[in-house]
Amino acid sequence: MTSIKMTRRAFAAGLGALGAAASLPASAQAARLRMMWWGGPDRARRTNEIIQAYIKANPGLQIDGESVGWGDYWPRVATQTAGGNAPDILQMDYRYLAEYAKRGALLPLDGLRAGPLKLAGYNAPDFPCGTIGGKLYAVPCGWNSTAMQYNVTALERLGAPKPKPDQTWADLAEWSAQVTSMSGGKIAGVENCGWNEQVLEVWVRQRGRALYTEDGQMAFTRDDVAEWLDFWFQLQQKKATTTPDVQASSKYTPETSMMVTGKAVMVSLNSNQIVAYQAAMQDKVELAMFPQGPAGSKPGQYLKPAMLMSIPARAKNAEASAKFIDYMLTDPAAAELGGVERGVPPSTVSRAAIAPKLDELAMKQVKYVEYVSGRVGPLPPPPPQGAGEIEKGLIRINEQVSFGRMTVPKAADQFIAEVKAALLK
Amino acid sequence: MTALAEPGAPALTQRASRRISDGLAGYLFLAPWLAGFFLLTLGPTLASLYLSFTRYDLLNDPVWVGMRNYERMTIDPRFWSAVEVTLTYVLWAVPLKLMFALALAMVLDKGIRGLTVYRAIFFLPSLLGGSVAIAVLWRQIFGADGMVNKFLGLFGYAGTSWISDPDTALGALIVLGVWQFGSPMIVFLAGLRQIPADMYEAAQMDGAGKVRVFIRITLPLLTPVIFFNLVLQTINAFKAFTPAFIISGGTGGPIDSTLFYTVYLYQEAFGFFRMGYAAAMAWALLVAIGFFTALQFMSAKLWVHYEE
Repeated sequence: MTSIKMTRRAFAAGLGALGAAASLPASAQAARLRMMWWGGPDRARRTNEIIQAYIKANPGLQIDGESVGWGDYWPRVATQTAGGNAPDILQMDYRYLAEYAKRGALLPLDGLRAGPLKLAGYNAPDFPCGTIGGKLYAVPCGWNSTAMQYNVTALERLGAPKPKPDQTWADLAEWSAQVTSMSGGKIAGVENCGWNEQVLEVWVRQRGRALYTEDGQMAFTRDDVAEWLDFWFQLQQKKATTTPDVQASSKYTPETSMMVTGKAVMVSLNSNQIVAYQAAMQDKVELAMFPQGPAGSKPGQYLKPAMLMSIPARAKNAEASAKFIDYMLTDPAAAELGGVERGVPPSTVSRAAIAPKLDELAMKQVKYVEYVSGRVGPLPPPPPQGAGEIEKGLIRINEQVSFGRMTVPKAADQFIAEVKAALLK
Repeated sequence: MTALAEPGAPALTQRASRRISDGLAGYLFLAPWLAGFFLLTLGPTLASLYLSFTRYDLLNDPVWVGMRNYERMTIDPRFWSAVEVTLTYVLWAVPLKLMFALALAMVLDKGIRGLTVYRAIFFLPSLLGGSVAIAVLWRQIFGADGMVNKFLGLFGYAGTSWISDPDTALGALIVLGVWQFGSPMIVFLAGLRQIPADMYEAAQMDGAGKVRVFIRITLPLLTPVIFFNLVLQTINAFKAFTPAFIISGGTGGPIDSTLFYTVYLYQEAFGFFRMGYAAAMAWALLVAIGFFTALQFMSAKLWVHYEE
């Protein structure tokens, strides 16, 4: 009997403790923030260092960081948002920003600009990319652009030339075939980029079109796609690209990348990703622009926010979230820890802080973004709902062609049909 | 306690109230399970039935669309390729796995030394098989530079990247499925132990050969166990997800050659945020599994032999 009494007493004590926890003052509870981002181990390390530095300067505050891979990130954000337990600080992508903002899932930040979100060193051109319907919903962390990344050490080993910085599509075709043949077929000049929606976008923009119109309609033609698929199929036939079975083993992560696994010299990515991809390999990586169109073409590439920071609409303590975002994006100490891993910082304060300490890798990225800045077109409107499905569909359609299951005209027809269907829903 | 000893009406009512309080105690003890069942199983199941008639993208409220999700299945080409891939997987992986499990169970049943050790070793893949780690390992083994190709290379044969070639990717997944033969093997082993030794002795005395003994004694007496394994493994094969998801990086590729039904369902739900369609697909899968299980039970009358 005594044991039961003891348990009851312990139980009562436990209940009391629970009650005490529930009645904690709101300020003490809100002193615990959750932040979520996508990215690899290098980003996780840098971000956690920034968080630690911030907590040190702000005792009593706790920030729990959650690092998630790109593929799992959006399902998690969507389920948490639906469940009403979205994190307090959310890394956002330009692709998803409009969708989340229009559905009221994000907090307009304009009201916080006077207070915690001063964003020292940000300039007017830094804000349109995070503005939807006249309200600021997200702040860019850094600028980047799409980029070819190539293994320059492998080229040196082969005695092969580097690609020209302003190479055209024809140059790429010739150069990559040459690299493959110089290696005796051991390594391909370039991965089969036919899968990559970002490269296709540059391809259609050079022709004066776009992937999507402002109101979310298809803005390219069937012939654009047919010529695109044919370009990569011809390169594959000339052995300038990876073979289809090897290409299909890429899972769009650094570890499975055709460049990191030594299957191709050159792959298509974004400029800030050089940090993550270089971290995954010994050989040195360089950046080059996506190929240029023939003379008279429009610029295909554009500067874009590598990622943005936003605060969910139902965040418990938006002030505290905004204060941390401001620290992360404009404090010199945070800038040093973050470097250019999230792209080249927009804030002139951050840039000044990291400029003297840029290592060789960071320099490559900064110089690349500078070089590209003079050769870009405008930022396209955010992609419509269904764009994610189309991005995945292109991978499948390109495989149909590269594995020889479908002719180019048939594949182009099917892709157009799929695009139209995905945009209808 | 004294109430029970006393005869008469008061005792009866007391007994009745005792029965009620006994029942109440029973339900109280069941409460944690019941709460779990209603909140975590039945509730979400009914919610998913409702969602299957809606358009729901997680961020906006569900919108009732009637049968539209179910109609869409009939014209969705990727849905049908997912059905084809899954049926192919079930039709190959289940029989092969059962044959493999039975063969090994018979070897182990011979009473070799260190039986428990072998049993543990053979069971190991089943413990690991559904895990992410093994799926990653499989990618290494069947990849372009994997063990399989290194081995083939010794004979001067240059293999493809098995898991990323649309002709062979599903095959690699079937092999992975068959490799997890542990649990049916254990069940077979138990079943083999149940067969009376005197039957074998009698058969031996009548001069029956090994094959004849297997066909006439082992197999018929084992049919209840085979049936049990068949039903369970078929259901599991329909629900297979992790290996295909990990090995294809969630795409079901190349060219949807490993687009298992569950992988496509996941893509629709968490990739494209069509929760309503995904819920409808889940219900269709439930009906399909129910159909095939019922078919197996009906066929059981023809071939399962219960010794009673």
